[in-house]
Amino acid sequence: MNQSSDEEWNFDFLDEISEDVEENKKIIQCIGCGKCVGGCPASKISDYNIRKIIEKVLKGDKSVLKDSDIWYCFLCERCKRVCPKEGINIPLLILNLRNESFKKGYGPRYNDLTKYVEMSERFLTNGSVLDEPLDGTLPEERIKEIDKICDFARIKYVFKASDKNNSKKKHIDS
Amino acid sequence: MVINNLALSISQIEEEYPDNPIEFFRGKRLCLFKACLEKYFPGVRFGIENLLEALDLEVSTCQNQSCCSGTFFQRNLITRAQFAALNERNLNEINNQADILLVSCNGCYNSLLRGRDFLKTPEVRKKTQEILDDLKQEMGGEKYEGQYEILENPDIRIMHDLDFIYLIRKAVLNTLKFDLKGLKVATHYGCHYLNLDRDRDTETYLKDKNKLEELIKLFGGQPVGYSERDSCCGWGASQVVLHPEDAFKITYKKLRSCENVGACFILMPCPTCLYTLSKPEFRDQITEIFDDKLDIATIHLNELIAILRGCEEDQCVNLRKKSSRIHWIYQTITESD
Ligand code: SF4
Ligand code: SF4
Repeated sequence: MNQSSDEEWNFDFLDEISEDVEENKKIIQCIGCGKCVGGCPASKISDYNIRKIIEKVLKGDKSVLKDSDIWYCFLCERCKRVCPKEGINIPLLILNLRNESFKKGYGPRYNDLTKYVEMSERFLTNGSVLDEPLDGTLPEERIKEIDKICDFARIKYVFKASDKNNSKKKHIDS
Repeated sequence: MVINNLALSISQIEEEYPDNPIEFFRGKRLCLFKACLEKYFPGVRFGIENLLEALDLEVSTCQNQSCCSGTFFQRNLITRAQFAALNERNLNEINNQADILLVSCNGCYNSLLRGRDFLKTPEVRKKTQEILDDLKQEMGGEKYEGQYEILENPDIRIMHDLDFIYLIRKAVLNTLKFDLKGLKVATHYGCHYLNLDRDRDTETYLKDKNKLEELIKLFGGQPVGYSERDSCCGWGASQVVLHPEDAFKITYKKLRSCENVGACFILMPCPTCLYTLSKPEFRDQITEIFDDKLDIATIHLNELIAILRGCEEDQCVNLRKKSSRIHWIYQTITESD
């Protein structure tokens, strides 16, 4: 990212998100070569531009959390493979930005939130995300284990985002 | 503590058993990882199970295995430590009953390696062990030693079905009853096979990009190249759900590009890609959006092997009768000349 002047950088936001995910620190090594953009499926179908997202993060521009762009990433790992800098993990950064976005109550417009809830419920009842899995359900003891591990605390963020979007929608509709 | 990613080294087996790599697997306990989407494509499981039995290899599934949970992680519903703890729970159970874990789905394969990868970060490893410690307490102790411990340098090794089938391809060929009769076949690898680097060094990765093409040739077919070969199926960790109209552009381009080169079907090693590229409702939506009807058939490598081995149509491609082209492929391959 050498085309910006020194004053433009502000790593406070980067420090913040690196507290949770240490690997994010590596994006400071980004040289802005743009290799990650070519062939990125999200860039092919939307205004998504991972280089610009990285730049915003490195400039401390938190508006990136509100951008609908971050929800376009396919998490396909192509960029991670082609990036010349060892250790830059873009899909992980995107997941982290999405988490932060959820926490602030932004998030995507989920058309059908119940699908997520149902999927989580199925996982905690039969050990599979699908109904009536091919091999039957997990033994009760094992279900107890995965229930204890997950607790799906984060689902509340999805609800929060969805509530905001719904009230926004109502406001527009009325 | 040694945290390795557990991917089985193909080149090492090739070096040790240059003439007959299947010998490496003799006497070893193989376990099939149960992918959730095999529910829609049971032929994916049947195909590999039936092949292993025919090759006289020991095969099982693990009753205590849950879904890989990658879908929850990718949708931000669980943390890295929760994800890694679920993964260790599965791996611990499988490690108890098997030496090698075969995986039919790119998503599950990615999850299994990613869970291990996360443990290399000290903070995640610490949190994961804390979750497992709590679990141990809640469950009233361990049923077997190390049940709730992070696996340190375990014996279990993980292998993608495509890598496995490619490695033992000569032995597979000997079990086939039919061939591909010169049919033109397009390939789709899927992002989490093409792009994954946790399991291979760059050199091996580049060397191994044509496994499906080589298998098609070996089985008597004609691999055909197309412009979108390396592109995503469109699923993109739920992009098809989040932004269907946009994500279907990727799916459509891929399918159209395969039809343009006259491919009879698309061969792939992942049921998630298969779901996206085949689901009749998705095809209908694509027809509506792009005003173009595409009827190219799609098949998982394991399903194709079952057909080539002469298994009943119901077992190879069951539940997919809605896709008429699959029936045509089955008929073409199995009819006598
Ligand atoms: S490929 Fe890597 S170094 Fe180049 S712009 Fe993308 S993230 Fe930065
Ligand atoms: S992981 Fe996201 S940013 Fe990277 S190539 Fe795929 S879609 Fe683009």
